[in-house]
Order: sequence, then structure tokens, then C-alpha cells
Amino acid sequence: MADDIIFELLHSEIINYAKEQSKNNGNKETDLSVVEYIGFAAGYKIMERLTREWPRFKDELDTMKFICTDFWTCIYKKQIDNLRTNHQGVYVLQDNAFRFLTNFSNGHQFLEYAPQFVAYTCGLIRGGLANLCINSVVTAEVQTMPSCKFHINVQRTT
Amino acid sequence: MAVCVAVIGKDNSPLYIGGIGNDCSTDNELSRQWLVHTALDALEERLATSSSINANSGNSTAHTDLRDLYGYVTNTRIKLVLVTSSTSPSGSNIRDAEVRTALRRLHALYADAICNPFHLPGDQITSVKFDKQVKSLILNNV
Repeated sequence: MADDIIFELLHSEIINYAKEQSKNNGNKETDLSVVEYIGFAAGYKIMERLTREWPRFKDELDTMKFICTDFWTCIYKKQIDNLRTNHQGVYVLQDNAFRFLTNFSNGHQFLEYAPQFVAYTCGLIRGGLANLCINSVVTAEVQTMPSCKFHINVQRTT
Repeated sequence: MAVCVAVIGKDNSPLYIGGIGNDCSTDNELSRQWLVHTALDALEERLATSSSINANSGNSTAHTDLRDLYGYVTNTRIKLVLVTSSTSPSGSNIRDAEVRTALRRLHALYADAICNPFHLPGDQITSVKFDKQVKSLILNNV
């Protein structure tokens, strides 16, 4: 579908922009916080729309299920393949064919580039949760190429 | 008919308070804030007791002598308050369904307003377009 590819192209342009910015500032490493922030803002705004006609979430796990199913379908046209939790604020979302990584070769050749391609999504999840009043830290882990694990660490302020 | 509409943020800070009206109890900012404040207490109370049961963003109401206050809490803890005068011009009471549609449309307007890239989450909504749309909502709907 043509409209799917547009999102991917935009996403790769965002990464190029961040790379360019870091290069101009004289940093050797790409500053991914820009990409992460763009994701955060998008996630925050999308959440307001997505949850409009939705019944109230029962608890945190219910919210995570929403992220795994409807939120993910809305953005990546598929669901998260596996959700695990320790029931103490740590959630692991596993996507076996993460959209931004499916175009890579499956070997270890490009593994070092993977972090650039998951930063936006980390921000997206964090932004969405932030709008639902859940403060979290989201990190991603890529071990074998098209699959990706997102670790959500809910920050509790008690 | 509706006289005043308010959008209250997650931390109970007012994001938008607007209204129309030519009687002295709603035509100035201060009295609007008073009215909305009254509704917030009732809303908080309901949220505390029934946050998990209420299906979609429960409607809660409070009444004063001249005004009815309707509240709506979104999944993202944004509180929308609608103030109506107790009787509509035709004399009949305002139906709940009408209020619900009005609040739902207000939520849609709010969702559009925060998609403005220049709007920072948690800031007051200063968009002229939003203001205009809300005013026409008040005039047309209830």
C-alpha cells in the first residue's frame, strides 16, 4: 500500500535529519533524543484521538494491552506478538517483524544501525503512556534483525 | 441552553474557559471560573469512587439554582465541563443525550486542537479556531 510506505519514508527522513543535526554540531554519534522527542509528541497527540471512544482503562495492564493491539495496529498495521510483565511495572513488548527493520538483511551486518530505527517508536510509546498519566522509561533491544523488544519501565511516584 | 464550556487539564489547571451569555452570571471570566470550580469537586468525587466501573467517561452533574453543570472525563484525564442554564428557551429541560453529544464533540475539537504542532501539552489553548468552533458548538447544540 502506498500510504504505508509514506510513513516509512518520512521516518527515515527524520533519522537523516537527526544525523545531519548531530554532524553539524560536531558530534560523532547521532543524537537520537531529537527523534525520540518527535515520537513522544506524536504519541501524545495520537493517544488523545485513539482513546476518544474507548471505555476507561481498568488498570495499567489494560492500558498496555491497548498499546499492544489497537495503538500498534493504528501505527504499524499489526499487533505486538508477545507481551510479558512481572506485574511490578516492567513490561516487555516483542514484535517479531518490526516494520522499520523488515527491510534490512537478516544477518548481523547492520545491527549497529538498529538503534536509530527504534528510537522514534520508543518515544511514541512513552508519549502515548504519558498522556494516559503513566510515566515510563522505554528502551528497545534488537538481537536478531526483524524482531525487536521494547522494555517499558513504569516510574511510580508514591 | 449552554452558556459556558471549560477544558480542564490533568492537574486541574484550566486549559480553556469560554462561553457566551448576556446575563451577569456568566459573561465574565471570574464567574465562569466559579461555576466550573463547582463542577470539578463533584467530578473528583465521582472519579474517586467509580473510576474503574464507569464505562465511557462518565457524565456527572451538579446543580445550582440557575445552572446545570455537566462533566466529562476523558481517558487521558482531561475534564470537560459544560454549564447550561436550567431551562432551555423553549421551556423544556435539556436532555442528557444532547449534552452527551455536545461533550463528545467538544472532546473531538479538543483532540484536534492539541494536534496543532505549536501547542505544547499542558498549555492553555489559545487557538482562535478552537474558540470559534466551541462558540458555534454552544450556540447550535444545546
